Amino acid sequence: MRPLRTLIASLAALALLAALPAAAAAARAGAKPQNSCLDCHRELDDARLAAPAKAFREDVHGAHGLGCIGCHGGDPTDTDITSMDPDKGFKGTPARKDIAEMCATCHANVEFMKRYNPQPYIFSMAEFRTSVHCKRIEEGDPKVATCTNCHGVHGMLSRKDPRSPVHRRNVPATCARCHNPEYMKGRTAPTDQYALYRTSVHGKALLEKGDLSAPACNNCHGNHGAVPPNTRDISLVCGTCHGREGELFAKSTVKAGLELEGKRGCATCHGNHGVQLPTDALIGTTGAGVCGRCHERGSAGARATDVIVPAFHALKARIGNADSLLDVADRLGMEVEAGRELLKQADDQLVNVRATLHGFDTKQITAVLTEGDGLADQAISQARAALKDWRTRRIGMAVSVVAILLMAGLLVLRIRRLERGAGA
Amino acid sequence: MNRLHEWLRDRLGLEALQHVADKKDVPVHRHSFWYYWGGMTLFLFGIQVATGILLLLYYRASADEAYESVRFLMTQVSFGWLIRSIHSWSANLMIGAAMVHMFSAFLLKAYRAPREATWLSGMVLLGLSLAFGFSGYLLPWNELAFFATKVGTDITGAVPVIGPFMLRFLRGGEHITGGTLTRFFGFHVAILPAVTTVILGVHLYLVMRHGMSVPPSVEGRTPPPPRMKFVPNFLLRDMVGWLAALALLALLAALFPWELGLKADPYAPAPAGIKPEWYFGWMFQTLRVLPAHILGVEGELVGILGIGLGGVVWLLVPFLDDPRGQGPRARFWRWLGVVAIIYVVVFTLLVYRGAKP
Repeated sequence: MRPLRTLIASLAALALLAALPAAAAAARAGAKPQNSCLDCHRELDDARLAAPAKAFREDVHGAHGLGCIGCHGGDPTDTDITSMDPDKGFKGTPARKDIAEMCATCHANVEFMKRYNPQPYIFSMAEFRTSVHCKRIEEGDPKVATCTNCHGVHGMLSRKDPRSPVHRRNVPATCARCHNPEYMKGRTAPTDQYALYRTSVHGKALLEKGDLSAPACNNCHGNHGAVPPNTRDISLVCGTCHGREGELFAKSTVKAGLELEGKRGCATCHGNHGVQLPTDALIGTTGAGVCGRCHERGSAGARATDVIVPAFHALKARIGNADSLLDVADRLGMEVEAGRELLKQADDQLVNVRATLHGFDTKQITAVLTEGDGLADQAISQARAALKDWRTRRIGMAVSVVAILLMAGLLVLRIRRLERGAGA
Repeated sequence: MNRLHEWLRDRLGLEALQHVADKKDVPVHRHSFWYYWGGMTLFLFGIQVATGILLLLYYRASADEAYESVRFLMTQVSFGWLIRSIHSWSANLMIGAAMVHMFSAFLLKAYRAPREATWLSGMVLLGLSLAFGFSGYLLPWNELAFFATKVGTDITGAVPVIGPFMLRFLRGGEHITGGTLTRFFGFHVAILPAVTTVILGVHLYLVMRHGMSVPPSVEGRTPPPPRMKFVPNFLLRDMVGWLAALALLALLAALFPWELGLKADPYAPAPAGIKPEWYFGWMFQTLRVLPAHILGVEGELVGILGIGLGGVVWLLVPFLDDPRGQGPRARFWRWLGVVAIIYVVVFTLLVYRGAKP
């Protein structure tokens, strides 16, 4: 009896083991899928329909657990084609004119965005409506950028990701995808911005040196409210980074004068997209000097320039002189730290003069120049004192060495006399 | 004047000193030149004490103030630059003179009986001089000193068993901080001077007691070498040497004033080409040329143990050499001394040529 019981028990155990996979499959079949859109589209032969699902793997929305339903609607738990039934909220591909509104449903919702970021960027549809892009879209222009043209679609990356088209280093190239002569053919908007920007001090800093503090297109034109900054605003635009210069220029009489003449503030002297590293050669009425472009010889502006420019170059010469004298003293082993400190302050004043020039206030500029001159003169005095001290030390050293050697000589004589006496 | 002399004589027992001075003499032979180096070292030590006390009037031993106080001393205090420069140059010359004294005593076999204790106390004094140099180097709290001290204490930390303790003891923690500076200041101006005073007293007493050693090559000669009175003949010659050293110090201090450099920044990267002071150079270069591993043991550890073992052998040479100073054993030790001198000189120079293996 016992072997029979063992056989029955073994057969029952085997039957149970065989039934387990079948039970698991049944359970899987019964579970509702998380995102049937991806499951089906990934397998489709039509590349156009499969690509969104494949790209979504890296999408920032996907990474945060959001699915296709947010933009396209439908029922992702339904594994059949009925998941795309309009009755189940399926919207299909949104129309271009509706894309911004659709993105805004989440990105303009502070509460929703805070779920993913405690300090979220909140998109403003109102701001977007002020942009040239939005206005043209509303006019029915099909070639104007909306959200997906800049940010991408299905595979959208965070703007902090260096691969993202809206990462700061990639923004100029992204804008240039539309703002180029070929795409903009037949339109009045200029198309040389990107070419100029790449040669500019900003472009070189951002694109060549990878300096992420350098401005890209959106830093001057705005992101979602992109507009060409008009003459009245340009000093405020440049002033967001060049604060002191912008502030001084905004208060200056020159700003109002330029406005009356229809000139574009900072860009009048510095240019806009192709702005180059400003050198001191820009200051003046001759050569590369830009003052002469507006101020004719003999005018009040030209006369002020004739006073300021030589004084400015004299300060530079003084600083250079102090620097070389301190270098000489330093090489001779003298302590020149105090002189170097003064020179640093004089250098700061030189930078201050360059900034103050943007206020076009002769009195203010002269005051800064005078202060710089005083500091440079003090540094020169320190260097000269160190050199004088060095000469005094050498004389002192020579005198003391002679005195010491004299004493040594006298000692030698004393020894000789002593030993001669002893010998005798 | 005579009355003052009598007054002092009665109270201080000047006759005894006079008696010692009259009695002491120095043998005169072709190696007598080397006798002056002990006195030279003592003279430079005196300069160190005098200038060190003057520096103390302005120096402030804290990470926040040390550099600034030295800068103030060098730029604002009359002759402050001169005092600091002389202190720094004299420190180097003193260690140089002590080394010449030590090597000449070795080659002339001045350590033979009964002068073993004189040799041992002299070696301790040399060690103390190196400790003075190492601790004093950090005190201006400048960049080079900071990183050289870091390298130096790192090497101490690699010594087996006691290394980690020594590293924490020297630094006053795991890292070089203001606490290390205060500690080094304490070593430099209190502990080391106190110990040095005692050992120096013992060394001078032993020199007085046993007199100058005569090298083996001169010892057996007949007639014996003539002798010169210590006071005044030898002392006057000593003084000529001291004046020459003083003139050299004046030249060095005026022509090559000791630089202050940049203030130490513990968070800055170490500047390129950090080197220890020249007197530690040969040890530094030895560790640098050793391969990473020697027979499976870390190269640096082998180097430290080798240098330590060499130091112990060098210290015990009076007990290892032939007491007569003659014969094959004596020749072996003399040649070993020559090899050691060549090694130290060549490896010191290699540091300054930036040579690497």
